[in-house]
Amino acid sequence: MADHSKRDKGLSRRSFLRSASAGAAAAAAACSTTSKNKPKSGKGATTAAAQRDAVIGPQGVALELEVNGAKRTVTVETRTTLAEALRGALDLTGTKVACDRGACGACTVLLDGAPVCSCLTLAVDAAGRRVQTVEGLAAGDKLSPLQQAFVECDATQCGYCTPGMLMSCKGLLDRNPRPSEAEVRAAVAGNLCRCGTYPHVFAAVARVGASKAKG
Amino acid sequence: MAKRVKAKLGFPGHIESVEIELPPGEPAPWDADSKLAVIGKDATRHDALAKVTGKARYTTDIKRPGMLYARVLRAAHAAAEVQQIDVAKAKKLAGVKGVVVLPVRNARFVGQPLAAIAATSEDVAARALALCKVSYKTRPFVVQLDDAMKAAAPAVHAGGAGASAGAGKSANIRKSKSRRRGDVAKGLRAAKHKVEATFRTQVVLHSSLEPHGIVVDYKDGKADVWCSTQATFAVRDEIAKALEIPVARVRVHAEYVGGGFGSKFHAGTHGLLAAKLSRQTGAPVRLCLDREEEQTATGNRPDSLQRLTLGADARGQLSAMKTVSYGTGGIAGGAGTASPLYNLYDCKSKAAVEHDVYTNAGPAAPFRAPGHPQGAFALEQAIDMLAERAGVDPIAFRINNDKNPVRQAELRRGAERIGWDARRNKKAGGGAKLGAHGELRRGIGVANGLWYNTGRARGEIHVKLHHDGMVEVISGGQDIGTGARTLLAMVVAEELGLSPSAIRTHIGDTSGPYAPGSGGSTTTPTMSPAARKAGYRARLRLEALARKVLGLGDDAALVFADGKVQSKDGGKQISFKKLCARLPEQTMTFSGPRAPNYKAYRETTAGVQLAEVEVDIETGVVRVVKIVAVQDAGRLLNPLTARSQVNGAVLQGMSMALFEERVMDSQQGHVTNANLEQYKIAGAVDVPEIDVQLFDVYNGSNSTGALGLGEPPIVATPGAIANAVYNAIGARVMALPITPARVLAALAAAKKGGAR
Amino acid sequence: MKPFELVNASSLSSALGALGQAKGAVAKAGGVDLLDLMKEGISAPPRLINLRTIAGLDKIAAASGEQGAVLGPLATLAQLAESKALAGVPAYAALAEAAAAAATPQIRNMATLAGNLCQRPRCWYFRDADYHCLRKGGNKCFAHSGDNAFHAIFENDKCAVVHPSAAAVALSALGAKLELQRAGKDGKVATRELAMADFFVAPSKDVQRENVLAAGELISAVKLPAPQAGQRSAYIKQKQKQSFDWPLGEVAVSLTVTAGKIAAASVVLGSVAPIPWRAKKAEAALVGKAADEALIKAAAEAALAGADPLDDNGYKVPLVKALVRRALTQALVSK
Repeated sequence: MADHSKRDKGLSRRSFLRSASAGAAAAAAACSTTSKNKPKSGKGATTAAAQRDAVIGPQGVALELEVNGAKRTVTVETRTTLAEALRGALDLTGTKVACDRGACGACTVLLDGAPVCSCLTLAVDAAGRRVQTVEGLAAGDKLSPLQQAFVECDATQCGYCTPGMLMSCKGLLDRNPRPSEAEVRAAVAGNLCRCGTYPHVFAAVARVGASKAKG
Repeated sequence: MAKRVKAKLGFPGHIESVEIELPPGEPAPWDADSKLAVIGKDATRHDALAKVTGKARYTTDIKRPGMLYARVLRAAHAAAEVQQIDVAKAKKLAGVKGVVVLPVRNARFVGQPLAAIAATSEDVAARALALCKVSYKTRPFVVQLDDAMKAAAPAVHAGGAGASAGAGKSANIRKSKSRRRGDVAKGLRAAKHKVEATFRTQVVLHSSLEPHGIVVDYKDGKADVWCSTQATFAVRDEIAKALEIPVARVRVHAEYVGGGFGSKFHAGTHGLLAAKLSRQTGAPVRLCLDREEEQTATGNRPDSLQRLTLGADARGQLSAMKTVSYGTGGIAGGAGTASPLYNLYDCKSKAAVEHDVYTNAGPAAPFRAPGHPQGAFALEQAIDMLAERAGVDPIAFRINNDKNPVRQAELRRGAERIGWDARRNKKAGGGAKLGAHGELRRGIGVANGLWYNTGRARGEIHVKLHHDGMVEVISGGQDIGTGARTLLAMVVAEELGLSPSAIRTHIGDTSGPYAPGSGGSTTTPTMSPAARKAGYRARLRLEALARKVLGLGDDAALVFADGKVQSKDGGKQISFKKLCARLPEQTMTFSGPRAPNYKAYRETTAGVQLAEVEVDIETGVVRVVKIVAVQDAGRLLNPLTARSQVNGAVLQGMSMALFEERVMDSQQGHVTNANLEQYKIAGAVDVPEIDVQLFDVYNGSNSTGALGLGEPPIVATPGAIANAVYNAIGARVMALPITPARVLAALAAAKKGGAR
Repeated sequence: MKPFELVNASSLSSALGALGQAKGAVAKAGGVDLLDLMKEGISAPPRLINLRTIAGLDKIAAASGEQGAVLGPLATLAQLAESKALAGVPAYAALAEAAAAAATPQIRNMATLAGNLCQRPRCWYFRDADYHCLRKGGNKCFAHSGDNAFHAIFENDKCAVVHPSAAAVALSALGAKLELQRAGKDGKVATRELAMADFFVAPSKDVQRENVLAAGELISAVKLPAPQAGQRSAYIKQKQKQSFDWPLGEVAVSLTVTAGKIAAASVVLGSVAPIPWRAKKAEAALVGKAADEALIKAAAEAALAGADPLDDNGYKVPLVKALVRRALTQALVSK
């Protein structure tokens, strides 16, 4: 006796809808220009994403992003997440996607200085805002003090959570240069590390805080 | 020609001189008298820079020109005959480039792979999946251990092997292992004190942050493969087999791997599908699983039902130990929890019987000390229960019944570090009422742990000396986050008198020399002696050259230190770099094959942990305040990364003890929490103070005497926490995870004077 | 996630207009829950109306005189947690505490007040598109016959989800009102104001919705009553793990103490029912009395009276009782 439930159509409804999103941007989004210039106000008004009250998408949405201080123009779908745009069109694969539902923090980037999950942020919502990723932490070959402390304190194991962990810590240190351990714990409460590197993350942030206290 | 040497082995306070027979050409082991410049000192990870800058490319980050994206069609039913998989419509969708259908006759769990489709984007691949039509004839299924053990349970492997069962017995139970020594019945009859207790543990998911994934680029009878794996060479062999090409035509890359914990030893069905899709399409194919697939179909730590019987004589000496255990992860794997009972404690009479139980869920996979944290959770609570009945302090009881001197010393160290005598409640549940509402109770508990591995005679390391003084260390194996890569550099640096950071390491590429998979905590004890051997051979060559260059006699001793090579009296010296410039070849490669182990001082790894917990008796919420982890590290190579590993194992053990549990739904057979939100993993706020006490034990097993630290430190954690909970509240929680519901139930039962 | 069209709204009125124009159009604020639902295949709207592009909707106006605080619908949980207008006012402390304790730092930076109130339940059967449960138009509550450890202990006979909004629990205790707007037929904006209790919908009334928002209707403001003399509030939640986790139970209380006696009390329980659960018996037990340990205990007992746990969630009864005692104690000792 065949089961004629709706789930019998090869795949469940969920699997279709759910997976139809995965990595959509990787192929669809394209990076058209790159500029080291700081974005000028008002210039973004030419892109589709900057238009107001007009219907845009689903495909071919031009978008200006300021990523790590450089202005980048990408073309995305409306459904393209910021994580997909960064990892796909912009090839900034430091930002990781591990749960794709905002539960693990591997995709954490700073948006106007605040840590957010780039997997639950639409790329269009980052238009005209400052995006900072792990690739923007070092100045050329010179590591930031936070990165240096992560190296020295062995605050990485497999390293997959590291970019998100770093961005949450940076978000904290930018607001609070000398956080207590409790504040560090709270700041990375949304960053899952399956290797259990947390004690060394706490030590690394404390080391940065201590050096700031001295200087 | 074997050489005999004397070595000072043991651990501080227990050093003895042992004669060791060295295999031909092997250096003498580093022993207690060795003066080492690099080994035993903190060294930062060789790949830390790539990891903190985002430059580290994991498999999920690989892009190849013309790469296709593949997704897996998965079974929608937990048990069904698969009558037809119709992919005709999917094939016609624009952008679909390849389809591979597996010859699956029976679906045995929701999420079982049936086919895969490669397309120009993940989106197209996913839409194509939705166009596939699978005809199922569904059958009853079973997803819970207790249900599967019933005589009337649906047979999970019906239609396949192992489906027959005797009348009145479940077809899902298979006796997997039975061990016995002495006479347990006699030992129990002789016992003055007895404990019979049943313990349960849950299914735990590896949950590596990087999901399983692979990129296969097959062209002209050759394949380049990027794979998130902990066994590059196993993946190479499996892909070669799938593509029907020689293993030498497959090159597997895995420089960075986002965690494995035992789940990534194979290419996996998805890997074989990707290989076939690449061959079919002539294009590189990427197949990376999403989180739900990762949590459903890539392995787990099976659950367990363990019935333990222990007996002790009037003086508290163990007379008999017995365990009968059952466990299921799903369609494969299950038991394996009896080893702690069988291998810990000196007791003449032991019996251990283990059973696999099959359920309609994804198969089990090795997971960080398979079977051991589960087994120790049961054993170490039962030991505490027996000690209490015998009126003996739990630590004294353990020392009395376990002659392993390392573990005895570790127990003493641990007791001192946690304040056992002064701070532990003399009467369980009798501690002070703490907290703003008097709701908190603190307790302290202990548990023993053990592991086994001193490495094997497998694999080799290459050391390359270049004429400009650059030294490269090459292994085809992988570093899944353990720090193994850095250890190889440290060992060679020690041998050549260099700084570890001066050495370049190349790993995760099967064009390098063979290395076994990262499992059983064997990587460090297997590969570090190979690295030493290669470095030692390079050094012998440089010594001969230096003697010539410096005009020294053939037997003149030389010192390699601080980037210099000098005569023993310091009179003559040359920089390492200049010496390399005199090498007869531009580049010289020295091979270090792993020799068999030497006569070992001790072949098991000892570890003990002590936990302090705080229990809210009104809400049942448990907080781990502190863990003292006293861990035999063998010859400790890198304390910095060793501490990371112990921290990580303790936290995974704590997370298992308090939070994690795969929940299967009996109605439709889904994992209800196949995500990182409802599958609860300990986070930053849950981290206790972890006091890592690394015990340097010079075991002389091989030239480095190092041990792997991936697995040993997780074994004792859940048991120590459970014993601490009992000490805090005077009620025992016999099942994992120790949830508020279970704590409150245990308290209520204790109040009624029932189970304790 | 299926493809969708997007309108970046410039103003609330243009958003309301855009919502009315396309069938099935859905408003997006922070997008946290919406994207999750879309990725899981629970929701597939053809068009999203983006409210994030509207300036000023995140404003938090402090209370002044007879006027209570007014919260913009797009104020983020992080803003609510840090706002002096809330955290610094004893009467409003519960809301700041609820916002600060919710989710993760990243989510709090993204999630908005209105979005938090309108998020859909986290029940693992509801969130799995392959379970055609009552709330999704099916004929069965899978939690009743499945694993219900994290489900409701009140009002659970039809559908046993718990309401996921922490802000809703706190706002209910504070007696907040919601201002709702939609585009009227005449092109004008129609505004209505509702008490929190009238906003949420119990399964007995309609099992497929959690609130009364009509198609095209938005929360345009959240209005708090002016703080009363002697009013203080508190919010407490208990999670199994102390990093990111959904609560096992929550309690928000607001007490107005005058002349040593409790003049007004509200006690609202969270994560125990499909709606924020007002514990009226506990409130009645408190009002008119001087607070002491026995009264607090009696109120906690009253709060859980009538709880009807399922197979796996009986632990919530003692757990939430303890939280009620603690929340009342915290509110009473706060200044």
